Amino acid sequence: MAISIVPSIQRSVSMASSSFAHPNEPKHIIRKPRWTAVRCSARERANETNYYELLGVSADSNAQEIKEAYRKLQKKFHPDIAGQEGHERTLRLNEAYRVLMREDRRKEYDSSMGEMRVRFGNYNPGLGYSSWKGPLRSQALFVDGNACIGCRECVHHASNTFTMDETLGRARVKVQYGDNDQKIQVSVESCPVNCIYWVEKEELAVLEYLMQPLPKEGYGVFGGGWEIPANVFMAAKAFTQQLKRQKQDTKFGKETVEETPAQAEARANASMKIQMEKFNGIWNWVKQVLGTQVDS
Amino acid sequence: MAEPIYTVASDSETTGEDRSAPIFPEIAVGIDIGTSQCSIAFWNGSQVELLKNTRNQKIMRSYVTFKDDTPSGGVINELSHEYDMLSGAAIFNMKRLIGRVDTDPVVHASKSLPFLVQTLDIGVRPFVAALVNNVWRSTTPEEVLAIFLVELKMMAEHQLKRPIRNVVLTIPVSFSRFQLTRVERACAMAGLQVRLMPEPTAVALLYAQQQQQQAVHENMGSGSEKIALIFNMGAGYCDVAVSATGGGVSQIKALAGSPIGGEDLLQNTMKYLLPNVESIFSHRGIDEIRRMGLLRVATQDAIHKLSFQSSVQIDVNLGNGSKLCKVLSREEFEMVNSEVFEKCKNLVNQCLHDARVGIDDLSDVVVVGGCSNIPKIRSLLMQKSKKKALYEGMNPLEAAVSGAALEGAVASGIADPFGSLDLLSIQATPLAIGIRADGNSFIPIIPKNTTMPARKELVFTTVKDNQSEALIVVYEGEETRAEENHLLGYFKIIGIPPAPKGLPEITICMDIDSSNMLRVLAGARLPGAHHPATPFMEVKMPTVDDGHGWCAEALHGKYGAAMDLVSLQKKS
Repeated sequence: MAISIVPSIQRSVSMASSSFAHPNEPKHIIRKPRWTAVRCSARERANETNYYELLGVSADSNAQEIKEAYRKLQKKFHPDIAGQEGHERTLRLNEAYRVLMREDRRKEYDSSMGEMRVRFGNYNPGLGYSSWKGPLRSQALFVDGNACIGCRECVHHASNTFTMDETLGRARVKVQYGDNDQKIQVSVESCPVNCIYWVEKEELAVLEYLMQPLPKEGYGVFGGGWEIPANVFMAAKAFTQQLKRQKQDTKFGKETVEETPAQAEARANASMKIQMEKFNGIWNWVKQVLGTQVDS
Repeated sequence: MAEPIYTVASDSETTGEDRSAPIFPEIAVGIDIGTSQCSIAFWNGSQVELLKNTRNQKIMRSYVTFKDDTPSGGVINELSHEYDMLSGAAIFNMKRLIGRVDTDPVVHASKSLPFLVQTLDIGVRPFVAALVNNVWRSTTPEEVLAIFLVELKMMAEHQLKRPIRNVVLTIPVSFSRFQLTRVERACAMAGLQVRLMPEPTAVALLYAQQQQQQAVHENMGSGSEKIALIFNMGAGYCDVAVSATGGGVSQIKALAGSPIGGEDLLQNTMKYLLPNVESIFSHRGIDEIRRMGLLRVATQDAIHKLSFQSSVQIDVNLGNGSKLCKVLSREEFEMVNSEVFEKCKNLVNQCLHDARVGIDDLSDVVVVGGCSNIPKIRSLLMQKSKKKALYEGMNPLEAAVSGAALEGAVASGIADPFGSLDLLSIQATPLAIGIRADGNSFIPIIPKNTTMPARKELVFTTVKDNQSEALIVVYEGEETRAEENHLLGYFKIIGIPPAPKGLPEITICMDIDSSNMLRVLAGARLPGAHHPATPFMEVKMPTVDDGHGWCAEALHGKYGAAMDLVSLQKKS
């Protein structure tokens, strides 16, 4: 990393050697690291490593977890323990801690980084999402699965549009406008709990995404499992706002930390393992749900 | 003795530059040189141990007597009587004098001490002298401190049977960086590499160790976080800290300090007992010094007794047929010193406020230092913290030096098999550091109570069209007007590209590493340019070698506002 303030003796040596080593390079290339060597803009540094990654905590961790992670890392990297080499690391840790420990600063940081507490990660079109028959229209159908009682009235009246999600025991839209307008109208009106809504087509994707059960991160033996927001329309509103902020920041997701091939391999292996475990988890869960349904 | 009493080592030896390899090649000892008392402690492999001098004292008096040609300090020297210390030959309270100029009220308050402190009131260092064979012989606070350090070093080397090169020395929170350079200078004179540690942070580290051991003992894992208020008041200084402790890490959340202490209590009480004390002793004849000494000893004695009894009888024969007989009650003592106690309260309030800590969050209130037995201080802190009891786990006189010894052991990188040294002290800046800009304002770049190591930057711009040079004047302190803060140094940025005023971006970056070294980096560029017009400048602070603000005045007189800066409001 180029950004560092090293003791002046060391620095002058490294400067000299670098300029001797590349005498033919254009001047600005030699000068540029020199600029960054003393530049210590918090703004530029912020993009190097995400504060959450730096502290090794998840984006939705609470103050206590951040504190503990910070102390643990300080014990490893503080210059009193690690020597002068720990200086840069500790500076970044201090900055990360300063920002994340204050709710207002953390919010500001989150929005600037596009780091969302709800991850829009495993977007999987197809499963659980409706397709369109014919041209796109301004309005679309959406079933609020939380309210649905699984009466199958809508599927009965418009079987090309609605389908029954057997695993969740609720109806959802399979094909937008899969039946003629009259059939759809009847099915909407036939719903005993009025859980079929006409929504703007722009909102549809988010609502359908949020209607999917999302894995919830667990802490130790607590939490975990799957969840669906209780009020999907409120959740969608908040979510859309977050998405907007995320779009503003084009740098989202940019990985600037260089990896060694070994690290990359290890990471790939680890993520594969996690995926496998996830799959197993889903599979077991599906089996369990189906099993109970069959039993009852 | 063949070798000189102290050696003058170069300043660079005490800086952090050669620290890149092991931080300390050996285990550093902890030294606490207080205004009136001092002690030295070391890590003996399993715990902190205080060294005793030949008279079996762990806590020694901080003074140096000048007799004939060889000065000797309170470590090895034995006074035949307490009054010897007050004969004019002994210099003490050097901690209140080091790095201060003669316009400083603290220096003026020291003029009633039984040796010579002469001021010319122009902002230069005061003249300090000891009475040797009826002659005022000049010395400096640095020299006195160095003599003292050499004695402590020799004592430790003799007992530990190894050379002592590295020490952790505790300092008051309110010391400016210029004062720190004077302390470092004294250590260099004594041939010691020093790490300076604010006193309450050393106490906080000891507290962290105690909490961790307790957690291990009770098998609670790393234990939960504890917020402690640390109040340390000695003879010369009152320091307050709020620390968050968890898992052996002591994190300083806020610091506050002021040069008030037992010495002020003593002087106020002396003035109360003998209202015309200053006029009586203004001439500094030998007799007067002796009488002042007698009054001093009697008053000190009375104050000590008032910690345990409600009133005390004072009888002093002041010579010349005058005699002081008085009964001093605790109420009178508290009334006379109400201002001092009020200041203590304000420091506590300020520190709690800066730390953003509520009274309910406090787990413990630790009161240490020579003044910790004064009932008023204890009741004040209990009242403030709404607690029925103060923390009892440490010896109030040994806490700071023990913490310093712990820090020395931790920073030496030694591992303890029982995890007793699995500790870390995360420090914060006691004062803000910034530059003069926006006219005559002090613009902090690193605010007070920033976690160290720290690095911050601000962007400034020019005040005139085509301004090619800018003057960077670095200050430390809390005041809004630049010149009311401590001047640390100054330098000039040259070669600012010609542009209308307000356009060039002058970046000032400040970096404090964990050994508390301050570097200021500055450079100018035009917006959009990827590289600066001229090389950046990196300046180690402080650069001033005198503690006054004359240089800043001279710069202002010579250049006026021609090289000024204003802060740039950046649209991001």
